[in-house]
Amino acid sequence: MPKANDYAILFDTSYCTGCRACQVGCKQWNDLPADPTENRGSYDSSYLSAHTWLKMGYFEGLDQKGEVYWDFVRTSCMHCSQAACVEACPTGAMNYREGGIVTVDTGWCIGCRNCVQACPYDAVHYDEKTGVVHKCTMCYDRVANGLEPACVKACPTGALRFGRYGELKAAAEERVRALKADGYAEANVYGLKEMGGTHVLYVLLRQPATYGMVLAPKTQAKKVAEGWLSAGIAAAAMGAFAWFVARREEISGGKE
Amino acid sequence: MSTGEWGIYIVLYFWLAGVGGGAFLLALATESERLKRVGAWLAFLGVVVGALLLIVDLGHPERFWHLLVSYRPVSVMWLGSLFLFLDGIALFLLLILRSWPRLLVWAAAILTLLVIAYTGVLLMATTRPFWAASPLVPWIFLASAFATGAAILTFFGARFDRVLIVFGLLEALFVLLHLIWTYPVAERAISALLTGELAWAFWGFVLLGWLVPLLLEVGRRAPALAALLVLLGGFLLRYFVVYAGQIGYLI
Repeated sequence: MPKANDYAILFDTSYCTGCRACQVGCKQWNDLPADPTENRGSYDSSYLSAHTWLKMGYFEGLDQKGEVYWDFVRTSCMHCSQAACVEACPTGAMNYREGGIVTVDTGWCIGCRNCVQACPYDAVHYDEKTGVVHKCTMCYDRVANGLEPACVKACPTGALRFGRYGELKAAAEERVRALKADGYAEANVYGLKEMGGTHVLYVLLRQPATYGMVLAPKTQAKKVAEGWLSAGIAAAAMGAFAWFVARREEISGGKE
Repeated sequence: MSTGEWGIYIVLYFWLAGVGGGAFLLALATESERLKRVGAWLAFLGVVVGALLLIVDLGHPERFWHLLVSYRPVSVMWLGSLFLFLDGIALFLLLILRSWPRLLVWAAAILTLLVIAYTGVLLMATTRPFWAASPLVPWIFLASAFATGAAILTFFGARFDRVLIVFGLLEALFVLLHLIWTYPVAERAISALLTGELAWAFWGFVLLGWLVPLLLEVGRRAPALAALLVLLGGFLLRYFVVYAGQIGYLI
């Protein structure tokens, strides 16, 4: 679990207008080049990549009462407490830093891309030019100097807040109580349990699935344990069986 | 922009490690000293060439030694490279020793099994549903390793007719189960295999790499051709498993 004094970002969908200032602020501060966009029949026109560490997702449709909804969600690294990228990394280049921030040491990364395959939030990406992976740093360079992350600084509506985990978690839970009282019965906080607790918390008006949020992601350690269990049984059973079958073969040429 | 998907080098490595490792393990079960040495050579070549392919595949090949000075046992990538390294040493010792110490043979056999099996764990421990939604990828790779290992030993004078048939059938069973198991969450990958961009590899495997050699083996005809086709099938199998997992994600 994140510590109360850890750094955290709170994203409150109920204040978000989908203006993408966070997306632009991220690009500008981190000096990231533009990626081609595409029309997918929605405002959702970009993908997370080695050059796009934060993007807005847009979700529209009819809710159960038949009313139109159009929701926005900030997607980026969640800075997990049990981060799949860190656990998948074979060299320790991807690691937890002060205050629970997860960053990659691009001078130590070997470019194996195991973290890219492991992240449930699609937040780590490989860049062929640099031969290493890149991701959101929670603007570690700004935060270490007493500034807010660029996305938070750019947000004009207060949908993004930066602070200490303990305070922002309390604020998120308070906000959900107020939203429920206002008639948003499904309002919830996302990120409290996922991947050991994430350092980016979400106040959502509707069920997480509505926003394309990953539901109950399995931790990397659990996947690895399950993988080795299955592979161990397979290796023992099939190894013994192969020995048994091969033993009974009449190898032409016989004993030599 | 390149997405850095796991591509052809990874496919080739999975295939080589499986062929060489399977051949070594099967040869150990025989009484033939010559065949055991052939098996050790094949496994050693598989491990060395495979490791080189893995290093070339890195974004920074010159940093590969970072793996060796780290300790990250929860990372399948790290543990796999450790097994690969130790297996290479064990097999090298077997190659240079005139008589094989029992303990070393056991160590090499277990490390070889782990090298074949970890590749399945590596794919399972990802967020790609086609790899992760069923526990069967290691089973598929191991069955294929024994089938292709038996196939390559055909060219060194050994006939593993039963192994070829039994593990050919097992491999097909695991692939079928895997497709059914993962279909609800990996529909995109499976339609790519059955009718889409990977259909050539999938159906190539099913017909040329599995059905034809199986018929030849059962009919006890053209063993060299059957063996060649089994090896081709093993490659196509690795190819479609590795690529299908990334369709809709990195490719």
